[in-house]
Amino acid sequence: MAGAWVFAEITRDGPHPAAFELLAHARSFDDDPTAIALGQGATEAAAELGAHGAATVYACDDPVFAEHPGRPAAHVLAGLIEAEAPDVVLFAQTYDSRDVAGRLQGSIGSALMGNATSIADPRHARAEIFGGTKIVDVELAGPAPPLILLRPKSIAAEPTGGTARVVPLEADVPEDIRGARIVERHEESASGPRLEDAKVVLAGGRGLGGPDAFAMLDELASVIGGAAVGASRAAVDAGWVPYSYQIGQTGKTVKPDVYLAAGISGALQHVVGMKGAKRIVAINKDADAPLLAMADLGVVGDLFQVLPALTEEIRRRKGS
Amino acid sequence: MAVLTVAVTLFWRRARSRLEVLRAARPAARTDHPGVRARRELSHVLGQRKLFQKAAPGVMHAFIFWGFLVLLPTIVEAMLAAIDRHWTFPYLGHVAWFAFLQDLFATLVVVGVAIAFTIRKIQRPDRFRGSHMEEADRILLAILGIVTTLLLWNASRIALGFADHPAAAPVTDALSGLFGGGRGTEVAERVLVWSHLLIVLGFLTYLPRSKHLHIITAAPNVYLAKNQPLGYLEPLRIDLEGAETDVRLGASVATDLSRKQVLDLFSCTECGRCQEVCPAWNTGKALSPKLLIMDLRDQVAKEAPLITAGAAGIVELQPLVPNAVADQVVWDCVTCGACVRECPVDIEHVDTIVDLRRNLVMAESRFPNEAGAMLRGVESSENPWGQSASARTDWTASVEDIRVLQPGDPPPEILFWVGCAGAFDERAQRTTQSIARLLTAAGVDYAILGPRERCTGDPARRMGHEYLFQMLAEANVEILNGAGVTKIVASCAHCFNTLANEYPDYGGAYEVVHHTELLSALVAEGRLRPDPAGGRGSVTYHDACYLGRHNGRYDAPREVLRAAGAAAVEMPRHGERSFCCGAGGARMWMEETEGTRINDTRFAEAEATGAETVATACPYCFVMLDDAAKAKGSAVRVADVATLLAESTLAEPGG
Repeated sequence: MAGAWVFAEITRDGPHPAAFELLAHARSFDDDPTAIALGQGATEAAAELGAHGAATVYACDDPVFAEHPGRPAAHVLAGLIEAEAPDVVLFAQTYDSRDVAGRLQGSIGSALMGNATSIADPRHARAEIFGGTKIVDVELAGPAPPLILLRPKSIAAEPTGGTARVVPLEADVPEDIRGARIVERHEESASGPRLEDAKVVLAGGRGLGGPDAFAMLDELASVIGGAAVGASRAAVDAGWVPYSYQIGQTGKTVKPDVYLAAGISGALQHVVGMKGAKRIVAINKDADAPLLAMADLGVVGDLFQVLPALTEEIRRRKGS
Repeated sequence: MAVLTVAVTLFWRRARSRLEVLRAARPAARTDHPGVRARRELSHVLGQRKLFQKAAPGVMHAFIFWGFLVLLPTIVEAMLAAIDRHWTFPYLGHVAWFAFLQDLFATLVVVGVAIAFTIRKIQRPDRFRGSHMEEADRILLAILGIVTTLLLWNASRIALGFADHPAAAPVTDALSGLFGGGRGTEVAERVLVWSHLLIVLGFLTYLPRSKHLHIITAAPNVYLAKNQPLGYLEPLRIDLEGAETDVRLGASVATDLSRKQVLDLFSCTECGRCQEVCPAWNTGKALSPKLLIMDLRDQVAKEAPLITAGAAGIVELQPLVPNAVADQVVWDCVTCGACVRECPVDIEHVDTIVDLRRNLVMAESRFPNEAGAMLRGVESSENPWGQSASARTDWTASVEDIRVLQPGDPPPEILFWVGCAGAFDERAQRTTQSIARLLTAAGVDYAILGPRERCTGDPARRMGHEYLFQMLAEANVEILNGAGVTKIVASCAHCFNTLANEYPDYGGAYEVVHHTELLSALVAEGRLRPDPAGGRGSVTYHDACYLGRHNGRYDAPREVLRAAGAAAVEMPRHGERSFCCGAGGARMWMEETEGTRINDTRFAEAEATGAETVATACPYCFVMLDDAAKAKGSAVRVADVATLLAESTLAEPGG
């Protein structure tokens, strides 16, 4: 059994989307790649993997892989590699797959390449460095199979509509490598849309005068619905809101449909983080504030009067 | 004789391990201009110039250092006399003037040790925090032991009638009263000379592993110091197309350090003068230049057997970051150079920090997240803010007659290098417009490159991205040389430093002046006539690190302010000892979350002078201090020197 193998990471929601991309990478030099799917739902995932070009899927539904990080998967892979001798094994550059690949490399001793963007054949891959300004072609020496981590989104997944042959696997994982146990998986949940994704962003600056005034923006955001609240560096530096609110050079870059800036003068440091907004509304007391000059709608006035009035008007129109 | 052999063997074995570590390090090309280096040796070592930057510690050290220089023959004499009590130097041992010098300098050493103990035990300055205090005590006691046994031995010889000129050595002569002159004194003489010998030899074996090794390493370290201005960084050539398989990307492990950098580590005496002036340490950050050097030294010492074991050992070396130095420490540095300027033995902390950064950025891609936007901006748009090149001339809209140099145009007398901040930042644009109006009013033949100007690469370079800097430097030099530019005026201290000191390495040699220098000259020539009666009130000038300390330009900005009718007041920390605004070393592009903010600290110092205006000469300083003023809601105005001059000179200063 030779050819290209793909480590298809199985998550609680089925195969990781990057697995389909890996199959596309593999199919660039091997028409019948093999996928290895370990974890609950692996057999079920085989159909989808087959539909994206996997000719064979080794599947094991044992819960051990979700209970212990990295080592069981690396152990099973090492055994399988020894038995079947693939030419190359591809991994997605995700946290979990990196963990498995690193451990696997430690036990079988072949070359491991990280951050690849494409692969030409089992021994030749490509990476981009210096922010993509230089392309490096890498030849991988050492015992077979080389292990290559490919960056997600470096190729588009392509459905083939095929069907995979499913080979069930037994998880023979000895007790001594079940060392660490996954107790809990926690995903940071954020209330409201993420700042970067929101269609409407309301940002406050030094002109708000203090943390309490951000409540006005929160209220406006909830009245609009689906709006996110951000801030300028000055407001973050003053400690009024956490750093996660910061928009600008050293904070987040936002490109909403509407960007409303209250009490933000528009220093370059801030502007570079929001200049991609489709419509800019600025409220400022100071008629010379640079942000007023670049706004589609500039309001010279006291934000403590303008904001509540705006909230009231939107509420009234939505209510009617 | 056996004692001597044992001591010297021990010393040699221990010193050799240090020497082998040095030999394994990268060679440092630091032997050019021997005349300059020799002069520095005379001033920094013999003259103790940098030690005298602090009065009492300077006197303390000079007494001990000069003392031991003079006493060196005496110590040799004592060693030989331990074997043959009648042995003396043929000439020196018999002249009155040398007996006098011995007596005087031995006494001065004792005074020096007394001052040292007073500083350490009573004054207890904060700069010693983190230093090895007990080790220092042991060393001082050893010095005291060496000199007191010497003094008493000489006194016993006077009592025994061995000395030719007892009157020439008043202190020793007075001490000789302690001895009766009989059989007891003869025994005492032997005991003293042997105690002296044993302390000296014991000290010798202790030396190579102690921070006192500086008595051997300091002189070569000073010799190997940088001849260029402080702001100059040595290039790291990266040739990706070349056949080189082993591209060194900064310093990762101990053997990546240069010999100068390793010698730096062995020269540190933990005096903490660097720590005392460091903006990061003074505002509660993790970085102390002293602790950085000590931590690197400890790792290099620990790994010495691996370093000298050849290839097999080198693969076992641990990365310096984070094993010796935490990531945060490396990023806390503003590259202001205060530590380097202060260091009595010319340790170059900043260059080592940049070398560590180079490895983190180029090999590991490990740097504070928020700085990524700057690097991306410089990479893709050739300016840190990612603005489009066509916007570089936006500031000219309100200024008449700015010549934008087009390809094929005849070169102007002076090229005005606007810089990215000066072109894009709304506040810095005011400075740019003031400079342009003043140059026009003075009838200067100047032009700007407009959209063909790129970032000089300074923020990328200080951040450690040498490759990006190299690309920009080469591209800029090509444009400048192609346009036939010979003289440049820069308004940004960082551009100024890079153009003047670093571009010659990339084939760009120009006469570079800072705008304050050019304006000062125009005023002196009478081409600009400010109205001093205009009265600019009291102004305090904040020295930009890359203009002042890094390049020695202190006077021109002050002359311009005086001409503009400003009443100058100085901050406590000014000139060579100015305190950074917090933006250097690419810190402009990073968040400052630990401790107090450097710009707030500096602005508070400026405000405390009672000045109505804080004058700056660099757009980074301007933005940082103006931010601090606004955050505080202060009535103090922050403005560039050029803007203040324009207000005193032009009918419509604008901007």
